[in-house]
Parts: sequence; structure tokens; C-alpha cells
Amino acid sequence: MSRPAVLADSVSVSFRPYLDRKPTMRRTLATFRHREPHLVDAVKDVSFEVRPGEAFGIIGRNGAGKSTLLRVLAGTIKPDAGKIVINGKTSTLLQLGLGFNPQLSGRRNVYLGALAGGLRKAEIDDLFDGIVEYAELEEAIDRPLKTYSTGMFSRLAFSVGMALHPDILLLDEILSVGDESFRDKSMESMQSLLDRAGTIVFVSHSLASVADFCDRAMWMERGQVREIGASGDVVELYKADVKTEQQSKGKRTG
Amino acid sequence: MTSLTAVGRTRARALRLGIYMGDLWHRREFAWFLAMGNLKARNASTVLGLFWWVLNPLLLGMVYYVVFNFIFSSGRDIAYLLSGMFVFHFSAQSMTGGANSILQNSKLLSNLRFPRLVLPIANLIESTVGFMASLLVLYAIAVPSGSVHSLRYLPLLLIVLPIHVLFNLGLSSFTARLSVPFRDINNITPYVTRLWLYLSPVIWPLAFVEGLSPTGQFMFQLNPLYWIIAAYRSAFFGVDFQMAAIGWSALSAAIIGTIGIGLFIKYENKIVRHL
Repeated sequence: MSRPAVLADSVSVSFRPYLDRKPTMRRTLATFRHREPHLVDAVKDVSFEVRPGEAFGIIGRNGAGKSTLLRVLAGTIKPDAGKIVINGKTSTLLQLGLGFNPQLSGRRNVYLGALAGGLRKAEIDDLFDGIVEYAELEEAIDRPLKTYSTGMFSRLAFSVGMALHPDILLLDEILSVGDESFRDKSMESMQSLLDRAGTIVFVSHSLASVADFCDRAMWMERGQVREIGASGDVVELYKADVKTEQQSKGKRTG
Repeated sequence: MTSLTAVGRTRARALRLGIYMGDLWHRREFAWFLAMGNLKARNASTVLGLFWWVLNPLLLGMVYYVVFNFIFSSGRDIAYLLSGMFVFHFSAQSMTGGANSILQNSKLLSNLRFPRLVLPIANLIESTVGFMASLLVLYAIAVPSGSVHSLRYLPLLLIVLPIHVLFNLGLSSFTARLSVPFRDINNITPYVTRLWLYLSPVIWPLAFVEGLSPTGQFMFQLNPLYWIIAAYRSAFFGVDFQMAAIGWSALSAAIIGTIGIGLFIKYENKIVRHL
């Protein structure tokens, strides 16, 4: 057995809603008067592991803690309890175009995005032509980013994200990048990442793409793990649950 | 036993700090590109671009010049006034910029891991470029008006500028740290900086403090900018300087720099949770 690419062991993240949510001077003064003792668990006692070469999907309703969990994996939030082990270089495509500045040219944004992702300038110099070619933006690379269409923007951002050459790719809702042909190309790149024993952790509301693309999936509910298993099975269970919920709602209103 | 663990803890802390500084150094190109990108974007999006950085303190200096010379008819040297104004503006700008560097980059912060000090540093690089540009304007005004006695102390800039930059990094890390629990901080800073402006030797001459009682003098001289501005003026205009000005500037920059940066680094793991 090889060691897991991602290991989460009883990870919990809790927020104090008053102090941790957009505090302002007024609210801080308010908390001095009546302290808010209760904690909200965004992620509670979550354990799972992802093996190299595996695509792992995370599904669940809004507010189930999926994005918080991805941020824990990305290392930007430290869990309050539990342990995270990451073996390899992670790259996040949690949000497309991180570090991009719409006023600047596509060229400059390639550098900004890749530097933000942790590459050195010399490395980007070498990768630059490949990034632009992959994004199919040779013509437009010196135009300001704000003149790009949504598809062009996503292509460039995705291309920069893949150029970071991650071992572990964290994705949030972005499998639908660009037009049909670019989507095929991006799927191919992700498949080749898996083939070279890379790992993908993928959060999505698109159940079909989770069932298709992922090997295993995890269903989160109110910060906790509800099911982990083969992606098709977990998606079916989740669908059934959503359906019963809708039916009971329908009964109440009807 | 206890002292042993204390030593261990100190050593671990020093090690962590060393790793942090290494990471920061590794990310220097990122800070530089962020700063240059912002400068470029600013130049692209407003007609005068970087010139606003120069123009704001320039116009404010002009206002005070008019107020003192034409309303109170107590003569002020325009170059003297502007030199203080530019130096002061650099520090004031670092305070608002430090807070903005965190508040305006919340997406970057919540999704990517990097030493957070990169953001206040990028902002400082931007301000430093603006400050250097304003020095050209200062000379363009000071030389024709005959305020520059000699350039013999100009090399002093090589000492004063780094001291000032360190001082400003301390200030901007401090406001960056505060901006997370108090995201409305930039509503307060203009009043703090305005008060500080009046307490600094920008619009009043140093002779004003020299006429005060020793306690009064001491109170004014606690202000690090008092010494920093004095040292700059020696460098700009070639007037004699006190070694004390350099010494106190360096000392206060070291203190404010360490406190500001230290508080920021200590807190930075929690930034994303609180944003």
C-alpha cells in the first residue's frame, strides 16, 4: 500500500459567529457586553483519505462545510482539532484567476497567477509559451484581461493552474471551463494528472460530473461525513435523500 | 527542567521565524510583481496614474503654504513644507495601504497559502516608488527656489530611507493586523494621521519645539517622525544634522518594525478565519 496523498483524521473547524464573522468595531464592543459562547461547527470530526491517482468528489448541500474543508486542505485554515497530512505539492483551483488583475495584460496575469501559486519567475519564463498555447490565446495575450470574454478568462486561469504541475489538485466547481472543445482538453489534462499518480479533490454540485469523473465520493452534511464510498453509490444515496426531503416539503406546503 | 524547555521553546520559535523568513524571501518576486502590477493598473485606470501619489501631498502642501503665507502672513518656505509633507505622506500612506492590502485581497488569502507579510510588503514597494517620484518633484521645486544649500549630505538618504521604510513596514503590518478584526479601520486612520501631521514638524518649523520647556520638547521628540523628517531635511537641503536624529530614527524604526511585523506574523494563521 502506498501512502495516501491526503489524510484527514478527525478534522474539526469551528467558528465563533460573532468574533470570526466580519467583525467590526461596533460588533467587537457589543461582544464585550454579552459574550457569545456558542461555537458553530463548520467541519466536525471529518476523517477520510485519498490515494494517489484517485479523483475524490465532495458533495453536499450549501453550507455543509465543503469549501471550508477545501481551505483546510489548501492550508489556509488551520483546523481546531484533528490532523491533516498532505503528501505532495497542492495547487488550488478553488477560484479561477487568483491573483489576476483585470487592468493588466494577459501576459502579466500569467506571471501574477503563477507567482501567486508559488512558481519562480524563471520557471514561468520557461513555461510561458506552453501556458498561452494551451489556453489558445496567442492572439490576445497582450490585451488587457478586462477585454477577455468569460471563456477566454477561464481558459487562461485554468491553463495557469495546470502549469503549476500539482500533485494534488483542489477544484471547486470549475469543470465546465470554456467551450466544448476546451472542456474536453481540460478533462484530458486532469486525466493525465491522475495517470501520473496525481490526485484530484473535487467539490461540486454537479452530481453527474462527480459520478462520472470521481472514483470515490464523500457526502457531507452539517459539517459531518454522511457517506463515503464509490462515487456512483454515494451520489445515488444523496439523490434519494434530496428527493425524500423535497417530497416531505411538498406534503407540508400541499 | 523548566529552563530547558524554555530554551527549547525559544529555539523552536527562532526556527519557525527562520522558516517564515525563508518562505518570504522565496516569494519576493511575487511581492514585486504584485506591486508593479498595481502601479501599472493604477496608471492604466486613472488619467494621471502614479502622479496622484505625488499630487495629493503636493496639493496639501500648497494649501498650507497659502494658509500660512497669505492668511496668517507668517512666511513658510515651500520646499521645507513639501519635504515634510512628502515624508509624512509616505508613512500615512503605509498605514491605509497596509489595511487595504489585506482587505482587498481576501480571495487570494482564503485560497492560497503564502506568507501573508507579502501583501503589506507589496504595498510598501508601491508606496516607495511613489515616494521616490515625489522626491523628483521636490527637487524640481526646491532647487529653483534656492532652498538647497548643498548636496553634501545627500548620501544620508541611503541611511534614512531604509530606516523610514522599516518604520513604515512596522506601521503597515500593524494596520494590516488590525484591519482583520476591525475592518472599518480606514474610517479612523485619516483622523489619526491628521493629528499626527500636526504633531510632526511638517507645517511648523523645528524652532517651535526648541522654544518649548524640556518636558514639552521631550514629548514632541518621542514622535519617531520628528527625527526622521529632520534627518531627511539635512539630506535634501544640506543643512546640518544631529547624529541623534539618525540614532533615534533607527531605534524607533527597529522598535516599531519589530512590534508591527511580530504582531502580524503571530496573528497571520487566523486571518482567513476572521476575514
